[in-house]
Amino acid sequence: MNTLSDRSRDIGEFVSQPGDEMIICRCEEITKGEIRRAVHEGMFTMTEIRRYLRAGMGLCQGQTCSKLVKGIVARELKVSPADLEPATSRVPMRPIEMKVFANENEDEDE
Amino acid sequence: MPLPERNDMKRYDLIVVGAGPSGLSAAIEASKRGVKTIVFDENARPGGQLFKQIHKFFGSKEHKAKIRGFVIGQQLLDEAGKAGVEVVLNATVIGLYQDKEIVVKTGDTVHHYKGDSIIIATGASENMVTFDGWTLPGVIGAGAAQTLMNLHGIKPGKRVLMLGSGNVGLVVSFQLMQAGCEVAALVDAAPEIGGYGVHAAKVARTGVPFYLSHTIVKAEGTDHVTGVTIAAVDDHFRFIPGTEKHFDVDTICVAVGLSPMSQLLKMAGCRMSDDPKRGGQVPIIDGHGETSIPGLFAAGDVSGIEEASSAMIEGRQAGIYAAEFLGFISKTEMDNGEEKLDAALDGLRQGMFAPKNRGKNIEKTEEGIDISRNLLCRGFIGDDEIERFPGVTHKAGVHPVIECTQNIPCNPCQDACAMHCIMVGKVITALPAVDPSLKCADCGMCVASCSGQAIFLVNEDCGDGTATVTLPYEFLPVPDEGTRGRALGRNGQEVCDAEVVKIRTSPAYDHTTLLTMSVPKEFAMKARFFKANA
Repeated sequence: MNTLSDRSRDIGEFVSQPGDEMIICRCEEITKGEIRRAVHEGMFTMTEIRRYLRAGMGLCQGQTCSKLVKGIVARELKVSPADLEPATSRVPMRPIEMKVFANENEDEDE
Repeated sequence: MPLPERNDMKRYDLIVVGAGPSGLSAAIEASKRGVKTIVFDENARPGGQLFKQIHKFFGSKEHKAKIRGFVIGQQLLDEAGKAGVEVVLNATVIGLYQDKEIVVKTGDTVHHYKGDSIIIATGASENMVTFDGWTLPGVIGAGAAQTLMNLHGIKPGKRVLMLGSGNVGLVVSFQLMQAGCEVAALVDAAPEIGGYGVHAAKVARTGVPFYLSHTIVKAEGTDHVTGVTIAAVDDHFRFIPGTEKHFDVDTICVAVGLSPMSQLLKMAGCRMSDDPKRGGQVPIIDGHGETSIPGLFAAGDVSGIEEASSAMIEGRQAGIYAAEFLGFISKTEMDNGEEKLDAALDGLRQGMFAPKNRGKNIEKTEEGIDISRNLLCRGFIGDDEIERFPGVTHKAGVHPVIECTQNIPCNPCQDACAMHCIMVGKVITALPAVDPSLKCADCGMCVASCSGQAIFLVNEDCGDGTATVTLPYEFLPVPDEGTRGRALGRNGQEVCDAEVVKIRTSPAYDHTTLLTMSVPKEFAMKARFFKANA
């Protein structure tokens, strides 16, 4: 079992730090402290952090913050950011209105 | 049994995602070989980052050296047009599915396309750093600043602090000044400048201070940036108390690297790796840019952050590989086509800034000369360091002084000199050497050809106690002949009085003005910039 998936690993208690109030994911207004706390609450992967906090799920789809979030999670787990699997990439790649998403062009003769 | 194909899905031999330098290059090469190609780009204009690049590019002729980026962009567009490439703009590829099917959003509809091969050339996005106040309006990416200035003609701010000393930070700092902004300081947490020394030197000589081993403590302001505090950091990037410095600025520009926009490839199921040397999540590709999915290629920054010059070559190669994959050309034809490109790409990947040398501590040039420590730590070559470089020689009369002191793949200066005074030689990264025994015609072509603005024409003794220094000047307004002012040294400090004695412009200089100033002769080797009296 690699260290990352070892949930019994003791990473210590969450201790608040200066800078915890700083917003990291600006679309969803998630702070550094919330992300750090989530790791201590057992969210060890980027996918879990996303689902738990919605960090990286807003308008920019993590374009700005995903690297920052990854860095924070990695530091908390004491691993290299490169060891963390990035969150799943999904359609749509860019924010899109549902009415557009559903509006498939049936007539391609134009 | 396979599902019946949708009848509303358009088919192409090749779909290229991204109309930047690599995507367009790929489409051109494929189209030329008979491949029916379509390119999608989410932007309103094609060309990717090229149309923001107003500086002259490095390299040799085959890399389009000394041509400004936006001109290269126009050339690519013309070439794509001639090759019959179909480019669809304002078209966002929102998904890449199995069997090379893509979904594209244009306007308020989504369209399905299927390609027999696909080249992903989506480029990169800017990294951010966090500090107190980083979400305040006025904190922007350097790329955003470039977009505002160079595409939309809008000044990003009046007074700017730049964070990041890589080539993006250095080039954009210079462009900010060209746009009429004041650059208060250039700051980097690293102990040494990340980008080309020549880019740093052209910023430093205008008087911009460099703060290496410093970073931003906080952006100040309530609803927008009104100032910034920086402080020195120790070896572990921790702030050193008591070293804080404040600057009144309305804009903070962040240039801390790029990350490949590789999500489409990940979505498609390509094998990926996290490679810090390539900038982050990149597809694992073979020597042909092919991902783990046959027929799905990646080219340009999406497969590893480099320069636009290498992206264009990678793109051309990917276009040729795709043509071979599709059976439009034979393997032999492919090998013939790419041999030259391989050599060109290899030429670009040499020197002290080559990807293979990233993170290495290089102390000497390939010639065995000690690299200027001042250049690495403060952005300019010290007066006591300059004489050891082969481009710096002395003779009576006008002669070139080349302050090019790091091995970078670039040689337009050699071709620019009709008198053959300047020698780079076969190794494109060699430092240019000046042969003082040959006559200089004072034509100024070398000065204008140097993408790093590192060449000066100096007459060390005009016979009346003065010397003249000719320098590349890319600011407006251009001072008139007779304008009096102060000469600035390499470090941007005033060194002496100066008078503009000659202003030269020419189509051959490609918008670089040659400003000749007269200074007391003892400052001939010190005066490197002109600042008019207020």
